[in-house]
Amino acid sequence: MATTAVDRVFAPTRGVLQEAGEMMILTVRTIVSAVKPPYPYGAEFVSQFMFALRLCWFPLLVSTVAFGYEAPGLQAANFLVLFGALDRLGGFFVLASIREFAPFVDAIVLAGVAGTAITADLGARRIREELDALEVLGVDPIKNLVVPRFLALMLVTGLFDIYALLFGVFGGVLATLVNHQPLGPFWATFFSNASTTDLWGSVVKTTLFGAIIAVVCCYKGMTAKGGAEGVGRAVNEAVVIAFLAIFAFNYVFTQVLLATHPALTDIVK
Amino acid sequence: MDDLFAVPRGWLESFGEIVKFCARILADVASLRVFKYFGEVLRQAGILIVSSTLVIWGLVFIIGLQCGIEGAYFDRSVGVPAYAGVFAAWCDLRELVPLCFGYMMAAKVGTGIVAEIGSMRISDEIDALEVMGISGVTFLCATRLLGSMLVLPFVYLCSIGAGFFASYLAVVQQIGDVSSGGYFLIFWQFQNPPDVLYSLIKAMAMAIVIVLVGCYYGYTATGGPVGVGTATAKSMVFNIVSVHVIGMLGTQLFWGANPRAPIGG
Repeated sequence: MATTAVDRVFAPTRGVLQEAGEMMILTVRTIVSAVKPPYPYGAEFVSQFMFALRLCWFPLLVSTVAFGYEAPGLQAANFLVLFGALDRLGGFFVLASIREFAPFVDAIVLAGVAGTAITADLGARRIREELDALEVLGVDPIKNLVVPRFLALMLVTGLFDIYALLFGVFGGVLATLVNHQPLGPFWATFFSNASTTDLWGSVVKTTLFGAIIAVVCCYKGMTAKGGAEGVGRAVNEAVVIAFLAIFAFNYVFTQVLLATHPALTDIVK
Repeated sequence: MDDLFAVPRGWLESFGEIVKFCARILADVASLRVFKYFGEVLRQAGILIVSSTLVIWGLVFIIGLQCGIEGAYFDRSVGVPAYAGVFAAWCDLRELVPLCFGYMMAAKVGTGIVAEIGSMRISDEIDALEVMGISGVTFLCATRLLGSMLVLPFVYLCSIGAGFFASYLAVVQQIGDVSSGGYFLIFWQFQNPPDVLYSLIKAMAMAIVIVLVGCYYGYTATGGPVGVGTATAKSMVFNIVSVHVIGMLGTQLFWGANPRAPIGG
């Protein structure tokens, strides 16, 4: 088949747009199907929730402590020690951990660990034609497979944000202790700068991250094709798309939150 | 008592397996045996350039924007908006560009290698190679490692550029609290060539671990098409944790005792 130059340029673009559109359709169908009775997905929801919890707690713990100690902890402490103002590290951790790092480390770990597992699971069912069998039996795969995963990932990512935040701040505590400083001033500046807006912003953000991860990973799993390499390929594409989507959404969300809540950027002494 | 230690022992065992396998690949590269297949090395390097670089730069670009706005708002709040360059320089160069490079390497290159080699393993292509007298480890894994070592330093340096450009856009063009000249004055003052070298070392350590782990999980995949998917997912878990741990050790090693800032003594 002869392809013209125009085709070769626009075919990939069209593919990307088509895929984005299909993911949107899946999102809408998932939400509609979640709200409309009947609700047969309770048991699957609980098992998916426990599954994500079991898979993610340890990688998330290591990652957040490492990240909190490394980026905002050591580097910011380095800078503040020069001025003898290490007590301000706590205030910086509100910005660093609650607003930024806890949400996105949380999302990266959830996408990389739970998201990939979901894609591998659904992809395997697609390749073994189990999903087709379900449809033949009259069982709606969106209602019974996608909706519970969607809801479970949203809830689990939102809850894990608090967990990530606690261990991220623990990284900051470690950095303070490494610099032989007392912890009192750290907590004092931390709590005088922490605001509920920051916290709900963080939790809402991660809940939406969970929705993005679930839709991308379920879509890629349900459309896996092509024999042996298919499932691996699907996992690869799912995690790449999920990461890009998370970061792009994170940028937009943070910018909107900061611009619409100027009180967030006031530093309390 | 046995049950209690079964899980940690399982982790240690698989960690030992991974280390043993990686040592074999590294030995193949170090003993120059891999140069028998130098054409394949170049082919793998080419595939890496064509398929992965743009995605990596894209992610780093977004995180550069992120560092920019956080820095601009933070420095505005402490009353020194002109110093947003400090935040951007340290956030980009030292921490987030290496980390995001690691994330995208793990997502795009790491899982890609698992999917590719894993499907070769379960369709018995690797056994076919061995029957023909070609070592699978050398031909498939060592070539990929050398190929990525040839290409990735340059990919990484360019992605630092993408991050810097994005931070500039966010701080100067978008928020606009500081002039372009003022921003760059501070921005370049707070970094120097050794910082770039340290950052490069950190990112390359991540990249090498990711490629090796990808090769391991692909090479040892079992259990049909489903097995490849599971192995791909498992490699991601290992890579996410190791990226963060390498990042932490690197920061502690390079900047832990010395902030390398042009302030004070």
